[in-house]
Parts: sequence; C-alpha cells; structure tokens
Amino acid sequence: MATVTFDQATRIYPKAERPAVDALDLEIADGEFLVLVGPSGCGKSTSLRMLAGLEEVDAGSVLIGDRDVTDRPPKDRDIAMVFQNYALYPHMTVGENMGFALKLAGVDKAERARRVAEAAKILDLSEYLDRRPKALSGGQRQRVAMGRAIVRSPQVFLMDEPLSNLDAKLRVQTRTQIAALVKRLGTTTVYVTHDQVEAMTMGDRVAVLKDGVLQQCDTPGELYDRPANVFVAGFIGSPAMNLVTGQAVEGGVRVGGAVLPVPREQLARAAAGNGQVTVGFRPEAMHLVGPGQGLPVLVNVVEQLGSDAFLYTKLADEETDDVLHPSDVVVRTEPRSAAAAGQKLWLGVREGALHVFDASTQQRVD
Amino acid sequence: MATIALPGTETTAVQPVSKGPDRRGGRGGRSGKAGPVTYTLLTLTALVSIFPLYWTVVAGSHTNAEIAATPPPFLPNASLFDNFRAALDQAPIGKAILNSVLVSGSITVGTVLFCTLAGFAFAKLQFRGKGLLLSLVIGTMMVPTQLSVIPLFMMIADLQWVNQLQAVILPTLVSAFGVFFMRQFLISALPNELLEAGRVDGASTFRIFWSIVVPVARPAMAVLAMLTFLTAWNEFFWPLIALTNANPTVQVALAGLGSGYVPQRSVIMAGTLLGTLPVLIVFTILGKQIVGGIMQGAVKG
Ligand SMILES: Nc1ncnc2c1ncn2[C@@H]1O[C@H](COP(=O)(O)OP(=O)(O)O)[C@@H](O)[C@H]1O
Ligand SMILES: [Mg+2]
Repeated sequence: MATVTFDQATRIYPKAERPAVDALDLEIADGEFLVLVGPSGCGKSTSLRMLAGLEEVDAGSVLIGDRDVTDRPPKDRDIAMVFQNYALYPHMTVGENMGFALKLAGVDKAERARRVAEAAKILDLSEYLDRRPKALSGGQRQRVAMGRAIVRSPQVFLMDEPLSNLDAKLRVQTRTQIAALVKRLGTTTVYVTHDQVEAMTMGDRVAVLKDGVLQQCDTPGELYDRPANVFVAGFIGSPAMNLVTGQAVEGGVRVGGAVLPVPREQLARAAAGNGQVTVGFRPEAMHLVGPGQGLPVLVNVVEQLGSDAFLYTKLADEETDDVLHPSDVVVRTEPRSAAAAGQKLWLGVREGALHVFDASTQQRVD
Repeated sequence: MATIALPGTETTAVQPVSKGPDRRGGRGGRSGKAGPVTYTLLTLTALVSIFPLYWTVVAGSHTNAEIAATPPPFLPNASLFDNFRAALDQAPIGKAILNSVLVSGSITVGTVLFCTLAGFAFAKLQFRGKGLLLSLVIGTMMVPTQLSVIPLFMMIADLQWVNQLQAVILPTLVSAFGVFFMRQFLISALPNELLEAGRVDGASTFRIFWSIVVPVARPAMAVLAMLTFLTAWNEFFWPLIALTNANPTVQVALAGLGSGYVPQRSVIMAGTLLGTLPVLIVFTILGKQIVGGIMQGAVKG
C-alpha cells in the first residue's frame, strides 16, 4: 500500500495541439479510493496510464509512495490494472490468467495455486478456474479481471471503466461489490469512470477532469454541496443542477422578470467580471411559493418516479405565459404532486441553497 | 489451400451466439443447407482439381508407347511399379525426398518464426525508422528472383556451399510476404490492451512474444506454415542452380528423369507421383487436424 502523487504531470500526444493531461496535481492518500471522472476524452485514461507507466510523462512527475516512478517501466511500479475490455489472455484458463503475474515474479507453483484459489474464492470464481475466458459471461470475465489484480497484492489498483461493459443492473451490483472488496483489502485505488453516479457512490474522493485540466478534487459531499465552478456544478448530480445566467441588480440576480436574492457582498464579487452572474440551484432545492413571489415557470413534462416526481419546466414571463428561455428548469416535488403540463408555477429557492458563479470566470463565489 | 479461410474471419463466423428464433428458421442464412446446384458446382470443381493428379497416375502406369497412342488411355494400367523402378534407377529420388523434407521443414520453421517476430515488431512495437523499414521489406517483394540469382550464387560459391542443402535453406529463411502477412494479422487480431496487461503483469517484450503474441498468432502461423512448406517443396529454379543431381531436392531430381533422345513421359510421370506422394499423404492425414487447429485457435482466440 502506498500514496500516489501526480506532480504537475503533463502528457502531450505527438502531433496534438493541446495536452491530453495538463499539469495534473493530485495527492492520493494511502488506502484511499480515488475516482477520476469527466466526460469522454477529458484525459482520464491518459492520467491512469501515466500512473501505470503505459504512457510517457512529458512534464512533471508521478510518485508511488516516496518513489519517483516517472521513468520506470510498468513492471517496476508494483501496480495492477483492470482494463475496460478486461484484456484477459484468451488462450489461458482463468487460473492461469490470474497466476500469470505471480509466475513472472517467480512465485513457486504451490504458493501460486494457493493465492489464485484464495482470490477465486473471494470473487466466487472457484468453479471456473479451468475455463477459458471465452466460455465465461461478461460478469464473470469482469471478476477474473479483478482477480488478476488482487492476487498480486499490489501497492495500487488502477481501474479504467471496469464496469462499462456490463448491463445496467449488474453494473450497480458489481459497483457495490468492488467498493466493498477494495475497502476490505485497504489498497490504494485509482478508478476511472465517465459516470458521475458511479463516481459519487464509490469514491472516498472524486477528481473531476475537463479537457485535461483538473477542475476539483473533493469528497462526494463537498463536490455536491460546493462545486468549484460551473462545469462541476453541472456535471455532478442527476438530474443536473439548474444553471441560469443573469444580470446583477440591486439585491440579487435578475432571471427573467424575477430577482433571485443574493447577499450584497457575494454579489459584488460575482459581478466583478462583466456584471453577469451565473446562479445554480438543484432540483431538490426548490419549493412552490405564492404567485408573483419567485421565479415564474411553465410546466412542460411531469415525471412520476413513485418516490418523488420531477417537473421539467421553462422560465416564463411574469405576466404573459411566454417562454423566456429554452433550457429546462428541473424541480423535484412530492410524488403525488398535482402539477400538470401547461400549468404556471412560482418557484422559490431554499435559503442557502443558491450557488453563485462569476459568469466571466465560471468560478464559484461564496 | 482454397478451403482455408483467412484467419481472423473465423472468430465471427463460428460464434455460437446467434440468438433469436428468426435467425435459425430464416432462409438462406449461414446455417442454410446446400442445394443441388451447390453440390454440382462443388463436384465439378473437385473433378477439375483432381484431374491432373489422376492423369499423372494414368500416364505413370502405362508404357511410353501406350500413352502416345490416340486416343490416349483413360484408365490406370499395370506398369506403375516398373516405371517407379525406372525412375528410382535414373535419379536418387529417395535421397531427394529426404532432402526436400529437410529443406522445406527448415524453411518453414524459420519463416514462421522470423516472420512472426518481425510481423509483431512492425505491428505493435514503436521504434525509429519503422515506416521506412517496412517499405523496404515490402519493396523487396517487387524485386524479381532472377535479378539476385547471380550475386547470390557468387556468395554461395565463396562460402563453398554449392551442392549443400544450406545453400537453398538459408536464402529463404524469412520472406517479405510472410512478414507482411503476420503484421496484417496481428494488427487486427492482437488488442493493444493484451500487451499492456502483459507489461503491467511484469513480462519482458520477449516473454510477451512467447506467452501472448504467439498463441494469438497461431492460426495465421499455421496458414503461413502450409503456404511456405508447399512453396518450398515445389521450388525449382534456385535449387536447380545451387544443387546438383548428386545431392538434389525432389524437383531437381525429377528434372533429371527420362532425359534421352525420346523423353520417357511415363517414367517422368511415375517419378513426379513419387515426389508428390509424401506431401499428399501428409496433407490428407494431417489436413483435418491442421484446419481443426486453425479453427480452434481462431475460436478460442
Ligand atoms: N494514443 C493517442 N494518440 C493521440 N491522442 C490520444 C491518444 N489517446 C488519447 N488521445 C487523446 O487524448 C485525449 C484524452 O484521451 P483519454 O485519456 O483516452 O480520454 P478519456 O477521459 O475518455 O479516457 C482525447 O482527446 C484523445 O483523443
Ligand atoms: Mg477512457
């Protein structure tokens, strides 16, 4: 077990104009489960592969424990990796797949068999040890890939979207199992996913990347409650946070006809750029208020989920029922809400639940 | 050879996952039965392919006068063993077959090994000058053999290898076609992640080659082995120059048969039959297993 440090680590692919990973700074504690999340192409896999030694580091350095491994080949790093497509050796049995690294490390046959059997037992693979990967289901292959990682008892686990090839139900199941297993083993883990739900449910901390640049690294709770910028605010949470940009006026931000109240001092700093302020509020942070008091919206679609309901609405004019803005404002309400499509509602934002961002820098202002 | 589909295509063809009842009951799908037209065509093709061999048997089992008759005979006759004897008297066919097995076998082992190594390097490794080197390799395919025969012979003569088997083995131990063939196969059949998994597991490049690349490449290696063996067995031009009838390969030995004022066609045919028989027997007995091996390799992958 060990800490992992990215120190200004940068990767520029040959012939690329901008870095795939740009000066990444990240400190991962011993035994921590860190999730790298972000949209497709943001550099998650590249970051992971830099840590694995499969990708060159063009600037900065990567450390495992106190050891600078920037220029070390993968085999000198004592890491194990789970690939998105599992990358099981097709001609080897499950047992041989899991034991291959041990064999290369010169572990003797009896010890190897013992450790493979132990890992197989943990992953419920004991009866498949003599099968080839081809003869396994997707879920079983995924477990073999996990098994190949855990038999080695490495310093760090690296996982690149290990669940993305499973169907939705199995993915949820496996997600809990992996999280529990890794917790029990206590091994430092870097886990890559594009799915923010996966990130939030599994990670001790979550690092959000965009275009190769680290946006924020925090606990899931902090990330949700205090997103550092507009991108993180919109990326984390489902349904996403409502984000609206408006002019700063006396007492708050003008959104359509209404003014959302923002404390004077906060407003002054947020409007310092160009006078425009982006405000964000989550679907569950809204409540219905009397006519003429808050944000007027027109209900577009009502989604009944049983446990609660979501209203997909559009910002509307105070007087007429004209839609002012094409983007949705999503509101969570009681499951048996009486709201119906076409209805006009007035929304208030719960005290302290308004996120304020400088529209010019996109950064959070508290 | 025509019955062996290119490796890599089998993987999809033999997948047992075609789900859904519509697939099974459907007309003309992959599982459809062959009709009379298919059978007729296949029979015709088989007959046309087998005829030269049949004619070799017919001609080899008559006397020279009998095959010269009009119309020529169409059924085998009794003189086969006389002709065999004549052929064996005229040329060292036994020794030639042994030599050919040695030569073709060595060339096959060498070609498959070196072409797989080089194909892997060109397909998956990064090194300076890769593109240039590959163009060079492919470029050699365009140089006619005839052009290099004289310098090659001078080299062999300098090495004092004339009339020795290494003179025909060494120059053909690797082939540009084979390198290109293995490269093309490995580019698509060998996922990069497999190599990366190997590296993370702690394998050296050479270990990755033996333990990961070779098993994946096996179907293509089998195809290349068969092609190479047949080509080497049938090679005539260079062996004729480098070897003499004192130490010949099969094709060289056959060239010395039936020569005289009137060519003895029946003896030539009998000798040809003797020279072809070993390959024929090996491929009839092993053919199923070779193809089976290829399929197995492709499916289990
Ligand atoms: N081998 C490569 N060569 C050039 N560009 C690459 C290579 N691999 C990835 N990229 C680029 O780098 C960026 C980040 O890729 P990646 O790390 O794979 O993203 P993701 O977050 O989806 O895993 C993308 O823009 C991608 O196109
Ligand atoms: Mg990726």
